[in-house]
Parts: sequence; structure tokens; C-alpha cells
Amino acid sequence: MQLFVQQVVLGLLIGGVYVAVAIGFSLVWGILNIVNLAHGALVIVGAYLTWLLFARARIDPFAALPIVAVALFAFGYALQRALINRVIRAPLFFTLLLTFGVNLVIVNALLVIFKSDFRSVTPSYSGSGFGVAGVQVPYIRLGALGVAVAVAAGVGGLLNRTRTGAAIQAVGADREAARLVGIDLRHVYALTFAVAAACAGVAGGLISTIQAITPTAGEPYTLQAFVVVVLGGLGRVGATVVGGLVFGLVETLGQTMVPGLGAGWANAIAFAILVLVLIVRPQGLMGRVA
Amino acid sequence: MSAAMPPPSSETILVERPRLLDRRRLRRLLVLLLVLGAVLVLLAPLTATDQADSLGAPQLVDRSQIRILTTVAMFVVMASAWNLVGGLTGYSSFGNVAFFGLGAYTCAVAVDAHRLHLPMAAAIALAPLVPAAFAALVGLPLLRLRGHYFAIATLGTAVAVGEVVKNVDYLGGATGLFPPILHRADLLFLYLMVGAALLAVLVSRLILRSRFGYGLIAIRENEEAAGVIGVNTTMYKVGAFAVAAALTGLAGGLFALWNSFINQELGFSLDFNIQMILMAVLGGAGTLFGPVLGAIVLELLIQNLAGRSDVAVYAQIGLGLLLAVTVIFVPRGIVAFFGGGSRLSVAHLRRSLRETGV
Repeated sequence: MQLFVQQVVLGLLIGGVYVAVAIGFSLVWGILNIVNLAHGALVIVGAYLTWLLFARARIDPFAALPIVAVALFAFGYALQRALINRVIRAPLFFTLLLTFGVNLVIVNALLVIFKSDFRSVTPSYSGSGFGVAGVQVPYIRLGALGVAVAVAAGVGGLLNRTRTGAAIQAVGADREAARLVGIDLRHVYALTFAVAAACAGVAGGLISTIQAITPTAGEPYTLQAFVVVVLGGLGRVGATVVGGLVFGLVETLGQTMVPGLGAGWANAIAFAILVLVLIVRPQGLMGRVA
Repeated sequence: MSAAMPPPSSETILVERPRLLDRRRLRRLLVLLLVLGAVLVLLAPLTATDQADSLGAPQLVDRSQIRILTTVAMFVVMASAWNLVGGLTGYSSFGNVAFFGLGAYTCAVAVDAHRLHLPMAAAIALAPLVPAAFAALVGLPLLRLRGHYFAIATLGTAVAVGEVVKNVDYLGGATGLFPPILHRADLLFLYLMVGAALLAVLVSRLILRSRFGYGLIAIRENEEAAGVIGVNTTMYKVGAFAVAAALTGLAGGLFALWNSFINQELGFSLDFNIQMILMAVLGGAGTLFGPVLGAIVLELLIQNLAGRSDVAVYAQIGLGLLLAVTVIFVPRGIVAFFGGGSRLSVAHLRRSLRETGV
């Protein structure tokens, strides 16, 4: 029983990372109608930036997150404005190919710069935590969950409480109508992608404190972000939070509680969840029927 | 139009100056070139055999080129097979490499002395069947999905099947399987793979000209309307998926035997996965020869770059940039780019998608 509670706690904590990874992905998918296959690569760019700041400048990984977010915001804005805006009206297939190409370029550029060595960010408090009734809670993972919830709240606030957010939502609802009322589509597209990239960067920063990173470590996160968004339901930040936490929980319990399965089965579990949700409840756990 | 205008006579048609390169001529030229190329490809390697060597015949190709040609033929199979689903039916599959891996593992398990221990011919015959059965099985739920959902669900299938294979000891686990090495078999596998490529093109042509093929195009253009006019959309889609899986699986099976080694990274390589799509799109998705052309051009490019291992990373970056350039500047593919709009081109796909408001 204690083992079960421990796994539930760990599952919810790792779910926080999935929330952080999926929020940007969900935003780009929901507003721009682009499934960004380079999302995992952006996450890893964030992870490497955090590692650079930690290893070279001795900046605490959590303190580095705002810097990483700003850097990726700028990178995301430029990427969307220069490249992805050109295919925004093309069939989804072309956007998939284009973002996959961007993914290849980023991952291999990272390989050129950082080689394929494992890097990890290990602040003094890494590995320590506190226990409640025999259940261990690592500080770093708790911090990661906290940051993820804060990012979700921030994005939710941006979308629902600001004028920029209203413009972003208007573009997501109806591009032509948004253009007619004077919204600069190209700018809003780029802004949306920039916010998503910033979220991905923060998620990468969190990941760098939890696992060792390599340039190719980001690819599973793209698939996982997709599963989280499908699981929660596309279109709302709250749904992504629920999706991420449920996904973390199911994945952790699946790996530890089902005999015969282990860490090597993470992708297969994710995929099984995906297919199950798509068949049984295509609108997601929290989604409304379109 | 005034009533005094004479009806167009046969003379007026005769006087009309024929265009130097209209579509039919271009097509014939292309077919002729392909046939010539194929004959050369089939005969040239014979000069590299030991017998030809001892007779003092000039070598037209060396053995590394035989390897490259075999790889090119393999990608012709995969790109043509992908085209049946992605180009013709309009379902952008991102997981066809699952069929390649399944075919490869089927063959490897079949010939393995400690497992099924079947003769090679039986193994090759099994290679298309297992992936086709798998495609029919997963196709039923997957092909109900559309757009992004279908693309990612198929990608997930490929990743998940690869992971299962890696975790099952009977299938060699993380180590992989080692089909027996056949000595001096490079020519044999070249001809087998070219045979598979010809089969893929033949099957594609038969489908394109059949009721089945028109049904698939109808599904691509408007699935609801296709259903209304009597196309059994589920059966058609699953059928196309299974045929594509069979061809891709055949290529995978031949690859496993030829390479004498198969593991999860090779069998379920995400590079192969994206390359076959890029080839079909680069050449012209929905056309018969587009994927063939794309496979030849791109694979020769990749082989000549990747032959030097020090540039492998840069080759990947180049591939990524090529994807971007293709998508932005030649979205309809080489065939349409040079040959004018084809009836079966992506232009139709784009237009129909735009009209349906994607």
C-alpha cells in the first residue's frame, strides 16, 4: 500500500513535467492547427541552455528558467515568422514535414555543438527530499510540479485576461474574422509560437534537473505531449493540466505495478493510452464534443 | 457565340501546332528513360562478378555501387507503397516503417536456426503477409482517425511496435537477430530488391487504373461523398493500408536477409520512416512515377553524402533543410513541377483540403 501511494505521488510529480511539455504543444496545435514535431527539440534546447547556465555561470536551474524562457521566446518568434508562417495555410501534412525538418536541423545542430555526451544539472539539493509517513517527495520534482502549474496558470491568464490573449484566441477561433477586425495574423501566429517555445524551454529546464540529457532525448517528449493533449482534450489549458497529471500517473503505475512491464515500455504504454482514448473518448477526458 | 461561326473542323485541329513536350510525350520519355535506366541497372552489375573479372571484361560498377543500387530499389518500394496510402488515399501515414520492421523481423525469425528455421524462399513469402495482417488489424481503428490524429497515431504505432520488439526475448531483444550470411549474394539481393521495386510500381499502376484506385481517390477528395456513391470506405482504406504494408514488409524482409542483421534501431528506423515520405512527396505524391523518381534522386543524394561518416550529422541537417525547401517551394513534387499539373497530383489534394477548410 505504501508502495502504491509512493508511486501515485511520483506519478503526479512526473505528470507535472508532462504538463509543462504539453502546454506549448497544445497552444500551437489549438491556435495554429499545427502539430509541431519539433516541440521535443525545443524542449531539449531549453534543457541545454539551463545546463550551460548551470555549468558555466553557476546559475541555479530554477533561477535560470526565466532566462531560458526569454531566449526560446525570441527563437520561437523568429522560427515561426521566418519559416512556419509560409505553410500555415498548407495542408497539415506539409506542416508535419516542415516541423520534422526543423526537428532534424535542431537535433543535429545540438549534436554538432554538444556532442552526444550525457549532461546533467545537479544543484546541491538534487537527490534530497522530505518524507511524509514513509512516502518520499524529492524537492526537485515538487519544484518542477510547482513551476509547471505556475506556467499553466500564466498561459491561462495570458489567454483569458489580456488583450494579446484575446487576439490569440480570436485567431484560433476564426482566422478570417480575426483578420477582418484588424488583427495582424503573422504577428499573432509568431507570438503564439513564441509563447509555446518559451513553455517548451521551461519544460526542458525542469527536465535537465531530473534526467541526463542528450541532443536526441527530446523526441519521446513530442509523442508524449501529443498523448497528453489528446488525453485531456484540445483547446483548454485546464484540460492539458489534467491530461498531463493523469498521463504521468498511468505511465508510472503501468511501469511499476503491472508485472512484466518496466521502464523500457514507456512509449508502448503511451501509445496504448493514445489509441484507447482516441477510440473510446475522442474528445478527451475534459473536452467538449466539437 | 454568334451563329455564323463555323463548327470546328478536323482541319483546324490538324493546323494546331503540336507542343514539343506535352504531357503524354513527357510521360513516354520518362517511361523510356526509366526502362533504359532499369536495363542498365540490371545488366551493369554482371560485369562485377568474378567470372566477368576473369574474362577481363571492363567493370561498369564496383561492389559498393551494387549496395547503393539495392538501397535505392528498397526505397522505391517503400516510397511507392507509402504513396498508396499517403498520396492516393490522402491519409498521411507517419508510421509505415512499422511494416518494414515487421517484415524484417518476420524474415529474420523465419530463417533463424533456433526459431522457425524455414528456407529463405518461404521466409521471403512470409515477409509481406505478417505486416499486411497487422495493417488490416490496426487499420480498422486507426483509419477511423483523420488528419493529425491519424498521422501521430501511426507514428505511435511504429514507435510502440519497435519498443515491443525490443522487449521480447524471442525476437532477439535489444541485441537483435542475425540471419545467416550468404556469401557473394550481393547480386542476388540486388535483383530481388529491384524485382520488389518493379512489383511495387506494377501494383501501384494496377491500383491507379482500377475501380479500387478510383475509389481511393474519391476517398481522398471527399470521404463522405465517396461513401454516398457506394464506395465501401472502410474496406478500401484498410485494403490500401494492407497492400502498402505488404510491399513495405517485403522490402523489410529482403533487407534483413541482405543485411544479415536486424535490430530495433534498423528495423524501425525513424530515418527510413521520414525518408520514404519525403521521397514520395518530393517526387510527387499521388502519381505513379513520382515516388520512384523521388526515391532515386534522394537516395543517391543521401548515399553520396552519408558514405563519409564524418558528415553524417551534416547530412541530417541537409535532409532537414531539404524538407523545408521541398515543402515551401516544390510542394507538388518534381513530376508536377516539370510535367505540369497531373490529374492525380497533390494540387488536387491541396485544393480539396482548402475547400473543406483545413
